[in-house]
Amino acid sequence: MISARRLDVPTSRATEFVDITARLQDMISAAGLREGRLHLQSLHTTLGLTVNENEPLLLGDLQAMLERVAPRANKYEHDNLARRSGVVPGEPPNGHAHCRHLLLQPGCTLLVEAGRLVLGRWQSVFAVELDGPRNRQLALHMEGDFAGVAEGPAHDRPDRELVELELARQLLVDPEPVRGPMRRLVEAGGKRLRPLLAMLSSRLGAHDDPLRAAALAAAIELLHHASLVHDDYVDQAATRRGRPTVAAREGAARAVAVGDYYFAKATRMIAQLGNPEVSSTIADAVETICLSQMDDVRLRGMYPGDYATYLRVVRGKTAALFAAACKAGAQLGAAPIGVVDRLQRFGDLLGIAFQMADDLLDYSVSSGKPLGQDIRSRTVSLPLIYATEDVRHGARVRELLAGPLEDRHVQEVLELVEASGVLERVGEEARGVVAAALREIEELTLDGVGPQLADLANSTIDRVR
Amino acid sequence: MADEVGANLAGLESVWDGSMSDTYAFFRHQARPEIALAATLVESAVALQDLGRTAPAPPRLLLGDLCLARASRLLADTHDTELQVAFAEAVECVAAEAAGGPPARALRELLVAAILGHR
Repeated sequence: MISARRLDVPTSRATEFVDITARLQDMISAAGLREGRLHLQSLHTTLGLTVNENEPLLLGDLQAMLERVAPRANKYEHDNLARRSGVVPGEPPNGHAHCRHLLLQPGCTLLVEAGRLVLGRWQSVFAVELDGPRNRQLALHMEGDFAGVAEGPAHDRPDRELVELELARQLLVDPEPVRGPMRRLVEAGGKRLRPLLAMLSSRLGAHDDPLRAAALAAAIELLHHASLVHDDYVDQAATRRGRPTVAAREGAARAVAVGDYYFAKATRMIAQLGNPEVSSTIADAVETICLSQMDDVRLRGMYPGDYATYLRVVRGKTAALFAAACKAGAQLGAAPIGVVDRLQRFGDLLGIAFQMADDLLDYSVSSGKPLGQDIRSRTVSLPLIYATEDVRHGARVRELLAGPLEDRHVQEVLELVEASGVLERVGEEARGVVAAALREIEELTLDGVGPQLADLANSTIDRVR
Repeated sequence: MADEVGANLAGLESVWDGSMSDTYAFFRHQARPEIALAATLVESAVALQDLGRTAPAPPRLLLGDLCLARASRLLADTHDTELQVAFAEAVECVAAEAAGGPPARALRELLVAAILGHR
């Protein structure tokens, strides 16, 4: 089976190495490719591909090398527009970029095993802009065994496709000023963990209805994205998944409106399901999330906090929607109360594990998340809490976090956290929380969705190396 | 009047002390306490977030989000699907307009219509 996709890669500088590793991994996860190959192809003659180490100084070296090989200031026959035919109006003088492209590849193939890109520890995949800034696009073919197809009739209900279709259907009818920003955000990828948890949980009762479950799942995903739109404005984040945030691209005032629109739309979609228990579950979760976000902002004055505080914030900000997705899905399917409760606890633990794994991305150069973003925005994060308790480096970390966080300070904190070994500790802890989550549901009769729930549970932390 | 809705104002006391109590008095003439409070919270959220004008400071945005969430929970507790849908549609209309979409009726007008349709 082959699945074709396109990946938008907006660039912001004339020459730029854009790390697309995390986005590719997200697309593989979203498509359910388990074993196979990912073929990538640039659709441009001045955008190349390469696999290399994402180390800022090295990227500077590579950029300098490209400049030496084909200096921008040199004369290129290609730039003599008077001598050329078929010149497009506004075509930039970019002979240097075409020459540099000879050093790169127009396409590449990457292997996928157990749903993960096969890359060495230091390997990242880059789209290399040679004549930016521009809006670029890559063509992707995923080829191999996909989860839904390989697992046979009992497991092959295309939950993911139903969720994607429902999301697309819902977005189609919205006014363009709100639809455009949300569509870009939704299409940027993501694992769709929350909606898939809702879909699977809905199968554990007497009223298994995939279309109603897909409506709930899509509403939960829209709620999640609405919350991200506001979060990004509050955190002053410039990018999400390698793309400009809604606030950065459209302005903060529109971002506020887009978030409100999809919050309201999602609550309407849920109300229209006509299940009061489901409406209450989601409404309670959203209120918890809002209170925790306020709590989180307040706590930035007491940064980095302690473990109990961390757990309280994470349970509210992240785990509440995971838990609600599981609970609401089970309620929609009319599962017995004991099953609903177990699934809620399962979701809560998965949410905690997911956040722990997400915290680790702050220290990963290939995550797609800007390095040290949590440190800069003073977001409560488990590696930092543990690093402040470290015997060797804790005092210096505390000292740095108490002062202004300029680039050099952030860099030093990153190095101290790495040196203190807490990243491995947080990774282990996240794995332990997933194991605890799976124990919550091991005694349930899972009607054939057990393997998929286990897969989803493990995928919450698959970014942990 | 605050006694009537006090349990539902946790975290929003500062907003109630501002203009919210006046708004509540208006809606209370139209609806029972929890629905009047939901309408008040929606109006307060839009005001706090300066929807359609300038971007609010982050604390005001979050306070506005909490107002919307609390309103949503109050409406969910009524188990009245049509009322929940009507309120959500009112917010969708004003938010879409604020983002540059089609013009909407005034929020209060939309909320009153939502309430009257269900009294």
